[in-house]
Amino acid sequence: MKSAVRMSGVVKRFPGVVANDGVEVDIRAGEVHALLGENGAGKSTLSNILTGLYRPDEGIVEINGEPVHFSSPRDALDAGVGMVHQHFRLVETFTVAENVVLGEPGSPFVIDQSRVAQQVAELSDRYGLAVDPSARIWQLSVGEQQRVEILKVLYRGAKVLILDEPTAVLTPNEADVLFTTLRGMVAEGRTVIFISHKLDEVMKVSDRVTVLRGGRTVGTVETARTDTRELASLMVGRSVDFARVTRTNPVDRSTEVLTLDGVSARDDRGREALHDVSLTVARGEILGIAGVAGNGQRELAEAISGMRSLTTGRIHVAGEQVQSGRARSAIAKGIAHIPEDRLHTGLASSHSVEDNLALKNYRSRDLSRFRLLRRKLIRSQADELVRNYDVKTPATTTPVRLLSGGNVQKVLLAREFSSLPKVLIAASPTRGLDVGAIETVRTRLVEAAEQGVSILLISEDLDEIMSLADRIVVMYEGRIVDDVDAGSADRQRLGLTMGGGTLSGAKS
Amino acid sequence: MNSNLVVIIAASAIFYGTPLFFAALGGIITERSGVLNLGVEGTMLLGAVTGAWASQHIPGSAWFTVLASIFIGMTAGALTSALLAFLCVTLRTNQTVAGLAITIFAGGVGLSSYFANIWKVAEGPVDRQIRKFDVLGLGDSPIVGPIIFNQTILTYVSWVLVIGVSFYLFRTRFGLQLRAVGESPQTADAMGIDVVKYRYVHTIVGGALAGLGGVYYSLAIVPTWVNGMTRGAGWIAIALVIFGFWRPGITLLGAYLFGALQSLGSTLKARNVNISGDILDALPFFMTIVVLVLISSRFAHRRLGAPASLGVPYEREER
Amino acid sequence: MRSPVRFERRLEQPKWLNWAIPVLSLVAALVLGAIVLLATGKNPIEVYDRIFERGFAGTRALSGSIKTATPLAFTGLCAAVAFRMGLINIGGEGQFYMGAVGATWAGLAFGNDLPTGVLVIVMSLSGMLWGGFYAAIVGVLRAKFNTNEIITSLMMNYIAAIFLNYLIYNSTSYWRDPKSRNFPAGKPIPKRADWNVYEIFGTRIPLSFLIAVMAAVGVWVLYKRTRFGFEVGVIADSPKAARYAGIRTSSTIIIVLALSGALAGLGGAADVGNFRGLLDSKGLQMSGYGYTGIVVAALARFNPISTIVVAVLIGGLTNAGFALQGPDFPSGLVGTLQGLILFTAVAGEVLVRYRIRRNRRTVAVAA
Repeated sequence: MKSAVRMSGVVKRFPGVVANDGVEVDIRAGEVHALLGENGAGKSTLSNILTGLYRPDEGIVEINGEPVHFSSPRDALDAGVGMVHQHFRLVETFTVAENVVLGEPGSPFVIDQSRVAQQVAELSDRYGLAVDPSARIWQLSVGEQQRVEILKVLYRGAKVLILDEPTAVLTPNEADVLFTTLRGMVAEGRTVIFISHKLDEVMKVSDRVTVLRGGRTVGTVETARTDTRELASLMVGRSVDFARVTRTNPVDRSTEVLTLDGVSARDDRGREALHDVSLTVARGEILGIAGVAGNGQRELAEAISGMRSLTTGRIHVAGEQVQSGRARSAIAKGIAHIPEDRLHTGLASSHSVEDNLALKNYRSRDLSRFRLLRRKLIRSQADELVRNYDVKTPATTTPVRLLSGGNVQKVLLAREFSSLPKVLIAASPTRGLDVGAIETVRTRLVEAAEQGVSILLISEDLDEIMSLADRIVVMYEGRIVDDVDAGSADRQRLGLTMGGGTLSGAKS
Repeated sequence: MNSNLVVIIAASAIFYGTPLFFAALGGIITERSGVLNLGVEGTMLLGAVTGAWASQHIPGSAWFTVLASIFIGMTAGALTSALLAFLCVTLRTNQTVAGLAITIFAGGVGLSSYFANIWKVAEGPVDRQIRKFDVLGLGDSPIVGPIIFNQTILTYVSWVLVIGVSFYLFRTRFGLQLRAVGESPQTADAMGIDVVKYRYVHTIVGGALAGLGGVYYSLAIVPTWVNGMTRGAGWIAIALVIFGFWRPGITLLGAYLFGALQSLGSTLKARNVNISGDILDALPFFMTIVVLVLISSRFAHRRLGAPASLGVPYEREER
Repeated sequence: MRSPVRFERRLEQPKWLNWAIPVLSLVAALVLGAIVLLATGKNPIEVYDRIFERGFAGTRALSGSIKTATPLAFTGLCAAVAFRMGLINIGGEGQFYMGAVGATWAGLAFGNDLPTGVLVIVMSLSGMLWGGFYAAIVGVLRAKFNTNEIITSLMMNYIAAIFLNYLIYNSTSYWRDPKSRNFPAGKPIPKRADWNVYEIFGTRIPLSFLIAVMAAVGVWVLYKRTRFGFEVGVIADSPKAARYAGIRTSSTIIIVLALSGALAGLGGAADVGNFRGLLDSKGLQMSGYGYTGIVVAALARFNPISTIVVAVLIGGLTNAGFALQGPDFPSGLVGTLQGLILFTAVAGEVLVRYRIRRNRRTVAVAA
């Protein structure tokens, strides 16, 4: 069987890290081939090389048996390789048709709008990618925008399609539709490379899987002959323990610390992101918030931590109301927040470690007097925290963005935990970290809960939630759609409600 | 009838508005690629001084000299903006500071004054001028005669340009790519469009047009060289781009409006009509601020606003 | 077509570059200027020598340079203060004018009733208020409506200039000298309102220069040591992180711009109090202090203390330009050199943020 794409000995270095360290990949024509790996395993870098955005430092790339040297995305497109990115490359103010035809070498000097619209309509009918050619991108939903990305690639006659984490923004239902589309393309003779870190999807849609870890290939297997356990262990390098954490102090449900009452809020685009959300978290309880990313979790975290105003409802911590949209009020009431976006929301990345550790309490009397900062005290606070939380940094004056991912997270943990909060919101706290750092974070979270901190654990990793949380709620389209005790939670049921399905079986 | 106040003002509006339009059109072209050119004032002055020099020194028939002067003025503008492009696109410096540097460098206390001094441009007359001419003998027709049929050749050229540039921007493939570069250079780059090339080319073309506007001042409006003669026209052109929502057609109308306001003050005074000239002078600037506030609102921003990457240097992730 | 070199972002910024770059930029600018001079038939060494002589050599030259530098110091601080937060305030010109208007009013109103020392304070405050308020308008538009402050502050400059013209040329306002019916001029402030000039080691130093130095130190302390300065730094670094930490970005933007305008306004007050003694509409507009101040601040890399130093440098250059003006010394040279200095300064800035790396060809390794 002929190789559609073959990459051997590919090496790619960036300042401070080797993203690809001698990767071997062999993809046959007419198959759906999955590239599986954790965050940071090198999958995105590899696909960027394949689409001409990066040049490999070493190694050979072959398309249909011929070695190729892509120096730009256009070269890759000419060779029939097209990529559907995780972060869409679309011009927001343009229409669908304009985005599809943009940059196409064969297009005529004068653009015939109606002809392009017609071609787009044809393609979208053929592959079941429903979208209005004259709609502007900012008017479309995320799922629809992804369809435009796929249409772009098909319009250019790509034979090899690369999809980078395509289901990250889709509901399970939309994901199934996508899988059907992909199988349809493969049946026509195209080749699909499916990049993901989700085991069950890889099992569902692919013919073969190549697993990457630490920038290297650790194995290529036929999907029919493997299972999620084997893939998982290839991915992380040891057999993964999905066991639950045992709590020494059982949670007393009657001590309500955090209450949300009919809370609604809008997202950055002005659309309703949270609808009438009500929940309570008891003292020392870990409440897991499950759901596919983009269902309001970020807005929920921001609403509670005061970064986002509420349109309705109230939030109380230990009986006291938190002022809507005022982060200072939330901080004062004892709400801590480890955001998903560490370097740009939780930290001022060009500032030093010590400045960031003081980011929330610089106003307090310990650290400033007469509006002047007391540098010595800020320094000593930093020294102590760095020591206690084992943050590896050359100095407390080092800019935070120079630290590794794990240490960045430790800085956040140090700051948020040391403020002795009543409530801690932890959003995707272990994403992108190496195994050792993941253990540390999880241990700290459980410790904090044991000491009485109410924790909201927001995560896309269902396994993580199931192993750490006491209770689990599911968010879908800005609402709480399920509420179960973690001990008796059932993965099937959670997966279903995460996708908007109702428990009776009918779709909501 | 043709000495009617309205007719005179309309005719002056077009006459004075034409250089503003050229500079603003250049600004549209440049800004559509994502580059903010604050060096327009200085660029225009360089165009004016080189055009004036050329008009005084290039031998040949009147037509030839004028044509050559226009060409030289545009070249001066293009070179100046090439420098800006180098600073902004290749070196990725702060575009505001770079533009200001060019205005100071080339402006009334800078290179244009220096050249004028050395070439002794102000000492002789500029008699090879761009004059108004009578089109098809219709220059005396009632009302429309002075307004439409008695303007300079460059005014007529500007009308052609409105159609041409609009067509280019909104109906051609290259215009689409240009707008993509201005809205989202990351996307354009990913689609294989050469962002650097587009920004360079369009900044240089924009500069040439600014130079053309400058030549118009020294060869048509004043017409001679006076130090700093554009007197803020470059800044007004920058405001015009916003006022015209980055669309050539509306910008043309805006240019005539501003041109009318510019000539209104003195015309009215000559007629003993007592309206404060200062308020009229200030009006364009107030209006621009109002327009700017309106288009910055979330609703308008997507539909009417500036190219999204305007003023932001493009940094591609390492290849 | 790939270029032979590429720019790679630096991870760390070596401290020595902070002063090396401006110095090297200056040298580069002088070299480029020399090329322009040679190309137009002048002797660069001779020209530079005369510039240095008239600008910096001797107490008379130095006095003149410091005098010229003073308004630039204020407008430079104005630009630096705003830029520290990523705000580009090019309205320093208009804010300077408004400060002059405000100070002149105070000088005329109280000039006969209060002692000089108090007058200095009153005029300064008035200038700062007018300038600060004028800039706060830009701040409000930016904070509440997200309107680009570059264009709005630019437009406000023109409106301020027209206002100046109105006050002196087109009306009989409080600021206009009633005796000057044919040739409009501003009304001079009473002698008592004239600000002091001190002689230190033979060099004449105006009081306002000392005020500028104190202001520079004040700004430095504000940004490095106070809570407010910390907040400004965080906002400049990451607006999201500022929101996360509960920092009120909106009001900070307005305050920073108001402060920026107040500094320019203080410069306007100094101009009236120490130098012109009246509201000189034409003179102010021709001087272009606001725009030159941005050049000064850029070259000083927006550091308040360096701004004073650079202001003296540019002041010396400008002063030499005035003193040397004549048939032999072309006008326009000063602006040209200033522009070149700014070019090299911003080009040099690139080297602080990026490294130049040669583009290596891809090496294909046999399988």
